[in-house]
Amino acid sequence: MEPRILTARWNVPDVHNIDTAMRHGAWRALPMALKRAPADVTNEVKNSGLRGRGGAGFPTGMKWTFVPPVEKRGGKPVYLVCNADESEPGTFKDRYLMWKDPHMFVEGCVISAYATGAERVYIYLRGEFAFIQRRVDAAIAQARAKGFIGKNILGSGANIEVYTHLGAGAYICGEETALLSSLEGGRGQPKLKPPFPAVEGAWRCPTIVNNVETMAAVTWILEHGAAEYRKFGTEKSPGTKLFSCSGHIRKPGVYEVALGYPMTSLIENECGGLYPGRTLKAVIPGGSSVPIMTPEEVSKSTMDYESINTVAGSYLGSGGLIVMDDTTDLVDSLTNLLRFYAHESCGQCTPCREGCGWMFKVLQRVKSGEATDLDLATLKDLADNIFGRTICFFGPSAAMPVQSFLKKFPDEFFGRVHRTGQVSYANIGAAAPAAR
Amino acid sequence: MPTVKINGQEVVVPDGVNMIEAAAQLGVEIPHYCYHPHLSIAGNCRMCLVDIEAGGRGPDIACNMKARDGLAIRTDTAQVKQMRKSVMEFLLANHPLDCPICDQAGECRLQDYYMDYGQYESRLVDAKVAKPKRQDIGDHIVLDSERCVACSRCVRFGDEVTKTGELRLFNRTDHTEIGIFPGERLKHQYQGVLADICPVGALTNKDFRFAKRVWYLKETESVCNGCATGCNIFVCHENGGVFRYLPRRNDAVNKSWMCDVGRADYAEVNSTRRMARAQVGGKPVTVDAAVQAALNLLRSGDPAQVAVVFGAQATNEANFGLLRIVQDLLPRASIYICEGNNPGASAYHDQLLVSPDKNPNSVGARVIAATKGDVGSRSDLIAGLKGGSIKVLLVLEDDVLGRLKLDSQGARIVYVGAWRNDTAAAAEVVLPAAHSVEQDGSFTNADGRAQRLRRSVLPLGDSLPAWQLLDKLAAAMGRPLGFSMGAVAFKRLAEGVPAFAGLSYQSLGGGGAALPKSALSDSETFPTEAVTTQMRLNASV
Repeated sequence: MEPRILTARWNVPDVHNIDTAMRHGAWRALPMALKRAPADVTNEVKNSGLRGRGGAGFPTGMKWTFVPPVEKRGGKPVYLVCNADESEPGTFKDRYLMWKDPHMFVEGCVISAYATGAERVYIYLRGEFAFIQRRVDAAIAQARAKGFIGKNILGSGANIEVYTHLGAGAYICGEETALLSSLEGGRGQPKLKPPFPAVEGAWRCPTIVNNVETMAAVTWILEHGAAEYRKFGTEKSPGTKLFSCSGHIRKPGVYEVALGYPMTSLIENECGGLYPGRTLKAVIPGGSSVPIMTPEEVSKSTMDYESINTVAGSYLGSGGLIVMDDTTDLVDSLTNLLRFYAHESCGQCTPCREGCGWMFKVLQRVKSGEATDLDLATLKDLADNIFGRTICFFGPSAAMPVQSFLKKFPDEFFGRVHRTGQVSYANIGAAAPAAR
Repeated sequence: MPTVKINGQEVVVPDGVNMIEAAAQLGVEIPHYCYHPHLSIAGNCRMCLVDIEAGGRGPDIACNMKARDGLAIRTDTAQVKQMRKSVMEFLLANHPLDCPICDQAGECRLQDYYMDYGQYESRLVDAKVAKPKRQDIGDHIVLDSERCVACSRCVRFGDEVTKTGELRLFNRTDHTEIGIFPGERLKHQYQGVLADICPVGALTNKDFRFAKRVWYLKETESVCNGCATGCNIFVCHENGGVFRYLPRRNDAVNKSWMCDVGRADYAEVNSTRRMARAQVGGKPVTVDAAVQAALNLLRSGDPAQVAVVFGAQATNEANFGLLRIVQDLLPRASIYICEGNNPGASAYHDQLLVSPDKNPNSVGARVIAATKGDVGSRSDLIAGLKGGSIKVLLVLEDDVLGRLKLDSQGARIVYVGAWRNDTAAAAEVVLPAAHSVEQDGSFTNADGRAQRLRRSVLPLGDSLPAWQLLDKLAAAMGRPLGFSMGAVAFKRLAEGVPAFAGLSYQSLGGGGAALPKSALSDSETFPTEAVTTQMRLNASV
């Protein structure tokens, strides 16, 4: 059975208008939540096992509990920031969610703000989402007119305002601390952790940053209960998730499936399978940053946080599934990915600032056949030297594709370079051919 | 006071210090570019990555790691060495190889750390990123973006210390560069600091560009004589020539900063405004002949009509020498302090470092003169000169006539000083004094901190430290002061003036020593005018 939690109202015409939305069930969860204590709402979310849908998969309810209690805040307000920057290549679920059913997600924002004690919610949208901002703004205005947003919401005494903020379109502003820097009006650069945003975030006040899809899921959980939510998905990855499926498939698009759904089924059923006569070469399962998977790994994996990591050393990430068939030139794909990272690195810390550009330059030469295998060893080294040594997760995000492409598809790269004989499979992190 | 472990060795460190400082206590160097003790933590250079043995997850950066009980780090592992090497490789990937023409060469952290932690074979075969060079961004500073390592120290200095925020980071990735908005220029008076804190050759001081290879320079610890703040400095000199001043860290006085006005003062050491020869009646003579002439003049008339003016521009030692001369040899003379600044002194002052009082030793002169008691003020001096009760005037360093905008009113003047000015021009006898960088001595700054001067270069021409000239004068008058050297003069000062009791050059050390507050209570009289800027020494960073 196809679960319809987040996508339940997507095909309802005019559902972005509040009257239609309410006829189909919107804004039912908020009054229910407001009748409960904030800590109780947090507990419900905690019990649901909901994990952050932005990519890291951190348990949402637990994140909320990191906000210091009132007496330790020194009079500082709490902010809830909704990360609607969705800039990971291969990921396009949030834009559909916000466009198709803005009320579900705005309702989730208000509920989450109530649970965390925030009186202000900032929805940070990427610059390219100006058209979505208009739709979300309209939804917010309609909800305010109905008394769901503003002072003393539905007589509960809760005061919650929701604002949208448009970024200038930088990939790094999807990183939560860079997003906060940008929101504050500064240059979109990640901040050092510690302090973590829940303790010291926007304007040095406690700040919870949650993804759009997480917010929408909160709405459903508060309406139907944690136990209902846990009926979907697996023990450690409960619920459903939106997957943005693209690449060499017949029906690219956004699909909602329960977590734990076999990856092969997702590709074959929802995505309509590969084009006729093509075979699967590789899949990037969670947006461009995560390690690539081989067909064998794909066949063994299910779509949840644990399986992909255990089977393939990769991540579910934001759920951006990029399917590549046998016509794909992986050297070209990786070069294209690194063009993106070399362009988007914020330039703050050394390894990422200098390394991404360097890796891109090397890859351009590999692609054009001007490189030797020594360059591949350099490439592997550069990626290793970036990984885990940067301020934010951008560095690893650029390094992981390089490491995994070289490790899992070494022959694609060796076949494109002049062999000096000085570089072995082990030198680029791959297993020798016989063992593979 | 947490206890941390560094490379297996335990150390107790003050609360709130980071692991770079904690390691420094054990003599363990953790290399870094972006960390500066007086700026906020940026954590962007990644050079200080260390392994964490206990109390956290590593590797992580030492600069953002506050010392806490149970924290144990290692800086000596193979991984740390490899991390430093790789950071060096990244930093140098797009760095131009213009060390031969770069002024930073010799004091460049890229060079130093490459030798200490880099030493790899270059793997770069691709073209480096080209960026603008030789950008004129301020009156004192040239920016070379290619050399920049984007550590953001200069940006943070402008944001946090001067609060003028002219410099920003522009662009992204390996095209990141420091820059200034179009049409803007640096507008603060601490531009030289930008070149100091720049760990590489991206920001260089116009004044020092191509002037000297730094490895030829010797550095002598001293104190700036530009104003009453008394910023601690290094005098950088070679073969008797002074090439620059650099601020020397003293958290109680100037942190790591100094102003551009003071910094430019190095050029005055050998300027034509200096007096190299003793004079009598405007004609050059030997110092001994001038001392004799001074003696004759001081003894020529009624001893009660001799006036002695203590010098806010002179050292504690010289003022004490003058005090002894007054006490022992001219007991009936009246004594004065002539408040104010010499004509031509910079009018700029702020609340960060630059004092409105442009005299380096106003407090010292006042405290020492007060030992005798009955110190006349500026207006008393004017009255005495105009009223004719002063016939002979003995002036130490300060340009008294310039300050008073008076001629000598018939008084005959003995001037012990370094500069050509109105007083020197009107003086019958001139004894040429050495510059503050040419002598051992001490100044007492506006906060009452006595700080040492050390001789960097030999005095110009025939000039001598003022305390030595006064010693000669006293000897000629029959009661030598016994000031055989600066340290002895200061010892006598400590014996003779209660405020300095117990102090010596040893106890002043590099950072100086505060005089007891009780000794200073009545000496805070310098007129402070409206503050021109809002700069403050930001205690929180």
